[in-house]
Amino acid sequence: MASNDLLVGLEIGTSKICVVVGEARPDGTIKLLGVGQAPSRGVRKGEIVDFETAMKCVHEAVVDAEQKSDVMIRSVYVGVAGSHIQSFNNRGCVVLPDDRDEIDEQDIEDVKVNAREVSIPAQNAFLHSIIQHYHVDGQDGVLNPIGMLGQKLEADFHIIHGVRTRIQNTIRCVKELPLEVEDVVFGPLASAQVVLTQHQKNLGALVIDIGGGTTDYIVYVDGAVKQSGVLAVGGDHITNDISMGLRIPMTRAEKLKCEEGSVTLGNCLPGETIMLKDDSGFAGKEIERETLNTIIHLRMREVFDLLKRQLDEESFMNYVGAGIYITGGCSLLNGIENLAMEIFEMPAHTAHAQTMSGLTSAFENPQFSAAIGLIKYAQAVQSDRPRGARGFGRIFSRLFSGIR
Amino acid sequence: MIQLSHNYTLPEREEESIPIKVVGVGGAGCNALDRIVLDGMDKSDLVAVNTDVQSLTSSVAAHKVQLGRSVTRGLGTGGDPDVGYDSAVDSADEIRQCLTDAQLIFICAGLGGGTGSGAAPFVAQLARDSGALVIVFATLPFAFEGKRRMQQAQDALTRLNGIANAVICFENDRMGDLVAPKAGIHQAFATADITISQSVRSIVNLIQRPGIIRIGFDDLLAALRSPNGRCLFGYGEADSDNRAHDALNQALKSPLMDRGRMLGDAEHILVQVAGGPGMTLSEVEILMQELGKHVHDHTQILFGTGVDGRMGNRLSVTIISSLGVDEQTPVEPKKTARRTPKSKPVAVAPAEPEPQPEIEPEPEPEPVQPVAIEGEMNEETIAPIEAEAEPVEAEEQIQDEPASEPVSDLIPFEQPRPEAPPSVVVPVEATPQVAKTDPQPRLIIPKKKPVIPKESKPEKVHAKQEVLQFEPISRGRFEKSEPTIVEGQDLDVPTYLRKNIRVK
Repeated sequence: MASNDLLVGLEIGTSKICVVVGEARPDGTIKLLGVGQAPSRGVRKGEIVDFETAMKCVHEAVVDAEQKSDVMIRSVYVGVAGSHIQSFNNRGCVVLPDDRDEIDEQDIEDVKVNAREVSIPAQNAFLHSIIQHYHVDGQDGVLNPIGMLGQKLEADFHIIHGVRTRIQNTIRCVKELPLEVEDVVFGPLASAQVVLTQHQKNLGALVIDIGGGTTDYIVYVDGAVKQSGVLAVGGDHITNDISMGLRIPMTRAEKLKCEEGSVTLGNCLPGETIMLKDDSGFAGKEIERETLNTIIHLRMREVFDLLKRQLDEESFMNYVGAGIYITGGCSLLNGIENLAMEIFEMPAHTAHAQTMSGLTSAFENPQFSAAIGLIKYAQAVQSDRPRGARGFGRIFSRLFSGIR
Repeated sequence: MIQLSHNYTLPEREEESIPIKVVGVGGAGCNALDRIVLDGMDKSDLVAVNTDVQSLTSSVAAHKVQLGRSVTRGLGTGGDPDVGYDSAVDSADEIRQCLTDAQLIFICAGLGGGTGSGAAPFVAQLARDSGALVIVFATLPFAFEGKRRMQQAQDALTRLNGIANAVICFENDRMGDLVAPKAGIHQAFATADITISQSVRSIVNLIQRPGIIRIGFDDLLAALRSPNGRCLFGYGEADSDNRAHDALNQALKSPLMDRGRMLGDAEHILVQVAGGPGMTLSEVEILMQELGKHVHDHTQILFGTGVDGRMGNRLSVTIISSLGVDEQTPVEPKKTARRTPKSKPVAVAPAEPEPQPEIEPEPEPEPVQPVAIEGEMNEETIAPIEAEAEPVEAEEQIQDEPASEPVSDLIPFEQPRPEAPPSVVVPVEATPQVAKTDPQPRLIIPKKKPVIPKESKPEKVHAKQEVLQFEPISRGRFEKSEPTIVEGQDLDVPTYLRKNIRVK
C-alpha cells in the first residue's frame, strides 16, 4: 500500500465541516474515496469559538468520512482560515561563499530563512513561505536554481502568517479527537490547487473562495502566488442580513438564500413574491423577491468592493490573464459571476475542483474545493518530502519548494 | 344562590351618545368625507370646509362652509397656505357655528396645498376653543410632489401637533404599501381614503358602541394624552377561521401603525376588540396575548370589548395609541442620522440612552456634560468622550420638539467618575443620586418635570445621533462575536442597514 497513500483533508468551516478522503496514485492522479460532512457549530467566521462543540462536529464528520470511504483515518491535513491571517511578499538574499559557485539545497534553505527575517507581530507565527521565483545573479524567473552556477541567490517569497494561538486552537481541536495533524494549510492555497490548472496559474488568476464564514482570495501571477488574504465576511452574513431584513429565523433565511436567492437585481417581475410556507401550519409569509435579491446583492457587492480595494493595494491584478474563479458555497448563488465581472472588470467564472477520478458529486460541488485541495496539496508535499519525519514543530518551519 | 340579572347586552344608551363632528378641510379632506359617508356614517355629522366652491357643491356633507368668500371668491387657494389661512380667518364665524355642540371633532385634511395646510390649523384651533377633543387625520403629500409642498405640509403638521389633541398622520408614499403594485391608481387613492374613514369610524364606534367592557371618552383622552405626540392607529377586521390572528395582523400592518414597531414605546394603548355574538373569550385572549408581545411591560393597556350584532361574523380590532415626543423617533431625522458615518455603532448604543435623562432637567447645559461623559466612560468607548458630549445633546435637539417629556422608562445609569466636579452636584437636583460619587450602578427613575426648551443648545449634526434608533443596531447572529471592522465599518451589521437602503 505504500504506493497508494491515503490522504485526508479536513476543513473546519463555519457552515460545515468536511473531511475528504483520497488516494494518491503513483501516476500523480488522485482518486476520491469519500467525503464526510457534518454541520458546523461552534465556528464563526472561520474560527473556533466553542471548542467542545467544534470538536464534536469534527468527530462527527470524521466518522462520516470513515464510513463512506471505508478506511480508518489517522492523520489529516487541516485547512485554516480566519481574519487574522495576513500575507506579504518578501525577498531573501544569500551570497554564496567565494569557494563555491554551485547552488545547492542548503542555499535554498538559507535564502528562505533570510526571507523570513521580517518582523511580524509577536503573537504571529509563519504559516507558509511560498516560493515565487528565484533570481540568480540578476537573472529573473529562475524556477529551480539547484545546480546552477551563481554568486548571489535571491528569492521572492510569499509569506503567510497568522496568530499563533488561533492556529494552534484549530490544531488542538483536531488532535484531541485524536487525529494526527500532518500539516496546516491556508485555505485558499488549497482551493487554488484544485481549481486552477497550471496553465491558468501561469496566465494569472484570482481565486475567491466564498465560504460560510470568510471570503478568502489568492492571486496567481506567472505561476506564483503573489497575493492572498481573508475577509471575515461570508455566507453567514448574507443569511444574517436576510434574517434581519425579512424578519425570519436564520434557518428559514438560509433555506431561502440557497433555494431562491439571486444576486442579480431587476431580474424579476415587480411585485413577484415568494411564499414562505410555515411548517407548523400557520399561514406562511409572503416576501418580495426583489427585496431578497436586493439584500443579497448589497452584501455581495460590498464584499467584492472590499476585496477589490484590498487587491488594488498591490498591482498584481493587472497581470491576471485568466480571470477570476469563484468557488466555495456562496459561488452557487445565481448571478454571482456577473457581479464579479462588473466589479472587477475581468471575466469571472464559478469553479469547482477539476475532474478527478472517484466521486463525481464531490468534486463538482464548490463547497468541497478547499477540502479537496488539501489532498492535492498533500500529494504535492509528500512527493517532495521524504516520508518519515513528521511532527508538530516542523509545521511551522518547513520548505515547500514544490508548492507553487 | 345569588341571582344575577343577565341584562348586559345592548341596553339603549342614547343619552350617552357623544356628539361627534367630522370636518373635512380642503380638497383631500372633503374627498375623505365622501368616503366616510359611503361607509355608513351619518351625514348630519359631517362638515365640509373649503375655498373651492366646486368641490363644496359636489360634497355629500350636510353642512358646508365656504372659506374666504371675499378672499378667493369661490376659487381655490392655488396652493398657497397663507391664502388658505386668510380665507379661514375670514370665515371664522361660520366655522365656529358648525363646530358647536360637539364633544369630539375629527378634522381630515390633506397637507401640502393651500386650504389643507393653511386653514386646517386654524380650524383645529377653533375646534379646541369650543371645548371639544380634537383628533386630526392628516395626509402628507407624495415625495414626488416636490420639496416645497412637503415643507409646507411639515410646517402645517407641526402647527397641528401643537393644537390638536392627537394627530394621525398618513404619508401618501405609504400608499404603495396598501395595494398591490399592479392595482390601478384610483384603487390606491381609494384605499388611502378607506384607511382614513376606517380610522374615523372605528374611533366613533369605539366610543359609541355598546360594550361589555366599555371604553369611555376618558380612556380615549388618556391614550391620546401626550399633546405633541404622534398618534398610532391600527384597525383590522377579519372573518376567517383564524380571525383573531388575522385581524390583529391587519391592524399591526396598518401603515399608520408603522407595522407595530412603535407600539413597544407607547405608554398607553387603547385596544378594542369587537365582534358578533359568536366571539369567544379564547379568541380575545389569543389576540391580546399576541398583542402583548408587541408592547412593553410597563405600557398601560386600556382594553375594551363589545358585542355588536351588526358585526355578524367579523371580528375587529382597533388599536389606538400615541407616542410622547421622547419616545418617538421621527422618521426624517432617523433617516438623516443613519446616513452619517458610524464609527462605533455597537459600542456606543448602550451608552446613548443613559445620559438622556440627565441632560433634560439641567438648567445649565455645561455641567451636565461631565455627567454625560461619565456615563459613557464606563462603556467601551474611550478616547473621544469630549466629542461625544456635544452630540449627545445634539441628539436631543434633532428631535425637534420645543417641549418634551423626559423618558419615563427605567434607565440603567453608570455612575460618574469619582472626580466629577462638585459643581455637578448643585444643578442635578432632580437626580441627586447621579452626582454623588457612588460606585455602584443603579437604576434611576427620572421624575417627570417641566423641561427647559432645548433650543439654547447648539445644533450639531454628529455621527452619534443615529445610534438613538428605535430598532437597535443588531448584528443578529454575530451579536456575541468579535466584530469584523474593515475600513471603519462593522461588517456584521447588514449592508442594507449601513447603507440606509430601505427594504420592505
